[in-house]
Amino acid sequence: MSRPGRELPSLLLSHTARRRQRLTAALGTGFLLTVTSLSALAVFFIFYFIARDAWPFFRLEGAREFFTSMRWYPSAGSAEFGARAILVGSGLVTLGAIVVAVPLGVTAAVCLSDVLPFSVRQVVKPVIEILAAIPSVAYGFFALVVLAPLLQQSGGPILGLMVWIIGAPLAALAILVVVDLATDKLSDRSRSRVRVLAFGVLSAVAVAALAVAGKAASGLVISSGTNALNVSLILGIMALPTVVSVSEDALQAVGRDLREGSYALGATRAETLLRTVIPAASSGILAAVILGVMRAVGETMVVWMASGNAAQIPHPWYNLLEPVRTLTATIAGDMGEADHVTGSARYHVLFAMALCLLVFSFACNTSSEWIIRRARKKAGG
Amino acid sequence: MCAEASLPAIRLMVEMQNPAVEGCEKRSEPALPSHVETRDFSVFYRTNQAVKRVSLQMSAGRVTAIIGPSGCGKSTLLRAINRMNDLVPGCHTEGELLFGGQDLYSPDVDVVTLRRRVGMVFQKPNPFPKSIFDNVAYGPRLHGGVSRGGLAETVERSLVDAALWYEVKDRLHENALGLSGGQQQRLCIARALAVQPEILLMDEPTSALDPRATSRIEDLIAELKGHYTIIIVTHNMQQAARVSDYTAFMYEGNLVEFGATTQVFSTPRQKQTEDYITGRFG
Amino acid sequence: MRLQTRKILDRAFTGSGVLAIILMTAALLILLTPMFVRGSGAIFFTATVEHRRIMLEKFDRGDRDAVERDIRSARAAREPVYRAIAEFERQLAAGDAAPRRLYATPLKDVKKALSVLFGPEPGRPRPMLMRDQYGQARWDRAQVKLARVLCREEWDYSNPAKAGVLVLKPRAADFAGTPVAEIFPYLQQNADRMLLPRRTVYWQFLTDVSFDSHFFGGIWPEILGTLYLTLGAMMLAIPMGLIAAIYLTEYATESRLLDLLRTCISTLAGVPSIVFGLFGLAFFINTLNVSPSKSVLAGSMTLALMILPTVIRASEEALRAVPRTYKEAALSLGAGRWHAVWTIMLPAALPGILTGIVISMGRAAGETAPIIFTAAVSVGKPLAVWETLTQPTPALSWNIFNLATEHEAVDEVRHVQYGLVLVLVSLVLVLNLVAILLRARIAKRMRV
Repeated sequence: MSRPGRELPSLLLSHTARRRQRLTAALGTGFLLTVTSLSALAVFFIFYFIARDAWPFFRLEGAREFFTSMRWYPSAGSAEFGARAILVGSGLVTLGAIVVAVPLGVTAAVCLSDVLPFSVRQVVKPVIEILAAIPSVAYGFFALVVLAPLLQQSGGPILGLMVWIIGAPLAALAILVVVDLATDKLSDRSRSRVRVLAFGVLSAVAVAALAVAGKAASGLVISSGTNALNVSLILGIMALPTVVSVSEDALQAVGRDLREGSYALGATRAETLLRTVIPAASSGILAAVILGVMRAVGETMVVWMASGNAAQIPHPWYNLLEPVRTLTATIAGDMGEADHVTGSARYHVLFAMALCLLVFSFACNTSSEWIIRRARKKAGG
Repeated sequence: MCAEASLPAIRLMVEMQNPAVEGCEKRSEPALPSHVETRDFSVFYRTNQAVKRVSLQMSAGRVTAIIGPSGCGKSTLLRAINRMNDLVPGCHTEGELLFGGQDLYSPDVDVVTLRRRVGMVFQKPNPFPKSIFDNVAYGPRLHGGVSRGGLAETVERSLVDAALWYEVKDRLHENALGLSGGQQQRLCIARALAVQPEILLMDEPTSALDPRATSRIEDLIAELKGHYTIIIVTHNMQQAARVSDYTAFMYEGNLVEFGATTQVFSTPRQKQTEDYITGRFG
Repeated sequence: MRLQTRKILDRAFTGSGVLAIILMTAALLILLTPMFVRGSGAIFFTATVEHRRIMLEKFDRGDRDAVERDIRSARAAREPVYRAIAEFERQLAAGDAAPRRLYATPLKDVKKALSVLFGPEPGRPRPMLMRDQYGQARWDRAQVKLARVLCREEWDYSNPAKAGVLVLKPRAADFAGTPVAEIFPYLQQNADRMLLPRRTVYWQFLTDVSFDSHFFGGIWPEILGTLYLTLGAMMLAIPMGLIAAIYLTEYATESRLLDLLRTCISTLAGVPSIVFGLFGLAFFINTLNVSPSKSVLAGSMTLALMILPTVIRASEEALRAVPRTYKEAALSLGAGRWHAVWTIMLPAALPGILTGIVISMGRAAGETAPIIFTAAVSVGKPLAVWETLTQPTPALSWNIFNLATEHEAVDEVRHVQYGLVLVLVSLVLVLNLVAILLRARIAKRMRV
């Protein structure tokens, strides 16, 4: 066992050895800290270099025209740099993307965290991962080569069909709830007759409304498949994985006991989720939506390839069937012509746009972090 | 304080100072050198005092058990001996913790050497995700100066000492995580023995094991006794009674009672000790 | 509310959740199907004799005798067409000026359409552009071009209420009563004899250089460029990311500085990719002058910066997932902090770290926006390793965009576009598959 007579190493360090040890430790930690700070410093560098090249634009042309004018003629003899239409375009496709991604994403997240059995979840997770992994240029290619011709040739009938597919189940549920609530207070005898009557009347109204809306949608002629609708759909799918995974994390963070408490009171699964779990996870879901917005705003390739790149505000503003132009696409598209003329307003205006993007994404990021941190603190304490 | 701290100082216990020694003496055992000694030793986590002015002496070559309800500071005291508490931010100590006469918390103590001389076995078996051989060889390789043949010999000797050799000698290069829980814990003991420590700290070494594996570890402790100074923290009083020579009972950071195990369990001096041992609280 | 209604609503809720998941899966399938189906068409397709000619003449590939025999037999089959045209031209030259004027343009159009289909007329001087030197190499394109020979396109504006409508007019009608009228039914019936279509597997699509802005050849320069950019980015991002992760998990103590570092890293993760591209241009190229203009090096640096937060986060998570007791055990054996990290923590966290690295590799390979201004050109030769320091490169992602939008004949190179998409998507999918498998292994090990 332990060998007798072996020399025991001294516990004490000599003065120089101790100093050497301390020095190496300090140097090592210092090195690690330096490298870590370097990656953090990159953020400041990015802000600085983008702002440095954006500044001359605001000095030369002023910020007023940039934010208020709609005239974007950067290459004309007397160039005009009104970016309002472009800012609106970015906002519009982002809004469209959110309309697609949020209902779908949050529902899917709820389903993943509370409805599906474990084995199915194992299959669905890779689907989300692959959706997140597909390169944006591949999405853009799909939008341009597959989706755009499809929309252009038979966009109207597709939209008409969509009205029915989305509208019919929603209307059916709404009628069910309305009739139920309205007849709740009636006496037992008259109730069933009134209920049947109300069902009939409301269904007829709903079918008529859907028919009118569907007809109107089928009649739409889409002059160009590369438009805001196309881009919104694709951006929505691209933002889905972010929305799903962040919302799911938020839903998982809501404790089991809260759910069990609700079930114990006799609530159904839908009631438990809608009244208890989702409100408890709402801040996390909000963070998910913000991150989804960031993904959509910052996306370049899809909008560059499939948005039509027309610097105009659609008429009316929500008309997604018209082409638009976004900040990212403008930067990507115009730099090719502008980078030979470094120093011109045309070059610097693109940096001004990048600065807008940067500030916006910074604000989004900070607020989502703040929301998540606050939610965690609330859950912890 | 002893200047030649490199050798375990031969310190005779001053019998009359400590009531524990009386119990010892009544069984007319020879007085043993104390190997680790605390004097008014306290450990703080920021402002929270986890160990409160504890003074006790742990004899060389013997098994000392520290018992007490959870949260009583027994693990903290144990982890102070090889300064594992250094890792906890905001942890600091007061008083003296002597190892062979040298205060362990004096600024010029080399923690690496200290930990080499004081081995530790943890609550849950924690073999590295490496082969059995590499697990045991980790310490000797770390401290260097071993030839390849010498390394194999050290590994074999440590595994024999830990009573694991015959079970694993044909699969030394398989992953250690494939062993059973009890085998993993004995592997951890072998890993600790491979650096030839003088002291073995055991932090509830059997709490994650089944009864059979537990009794094998206890047998092993009995075999190791005499060659190593063993300090074991346990919440299992039967275990303390079975394996230890001395027992310290701690409660809320205070050392309530310390003495020969037979005495502590048969005729406890303090009411609190008696209550705890008879299962009235804790 | 009635219990029954509540139950129906509950089912509807569950159903909508399942529907959302099904929609998501359907979206993925709808996206991937055309990419895989049409993408594989770049490699597996029915090739005409022209393809075999290109392979023989440009790459010295294939059985020379067999190919030359094919070429001869195709020429022989085409012979009557050219003869009929020559015959008609002789008649016109001998006849009046009026029919000569009438038939001049239609005849020119037919000859042009024919040369697109079959390549230049035998006996004519060799044209400058390679796309004019050969006929249609792919049978599917050949059929489109054959239709152009048989019919001419005309826009019909007769209905002023509607936009112009495209109508196809058979050319045979234009030449009724002339020797040329004969060639149209002949072409229609004997197209396969004149082009000799055969099922072909063109593996070399992946390893061939391209000719004449992707009209012919493969996509090797793009694949190589993407590999260079990705590997370069990983070489820079992995060491930095790992070191940062080790510092953040093992060394840093909670403080203001740490909060600031974390905020910075998460802000970096949120910067839009196009802004990285601008930053790369403004900083790496215009300020640091790492290369005089676009280069693989500058592109790699930009990409590295972009994926750095992902690498840091993944490594941090993997390191945090290693049980604390491993580290304690190593320290209790007398290991120093750095030694414990190096010998115990890093190996134990390796699968997790690799997962993160593989995923960010996929992201670096697929990103386009950061390399537009820093590294990508549309046409280029495959670079040698040392040239990456100064030369720009074509890349899969950039060329998908470029060929699909800015190419002079977008429809003609559709198969190349799909081929590029297929290769890029497969690359990313394989990387993600590796990540999923790695993760499954970790999960299995955690259960032991």
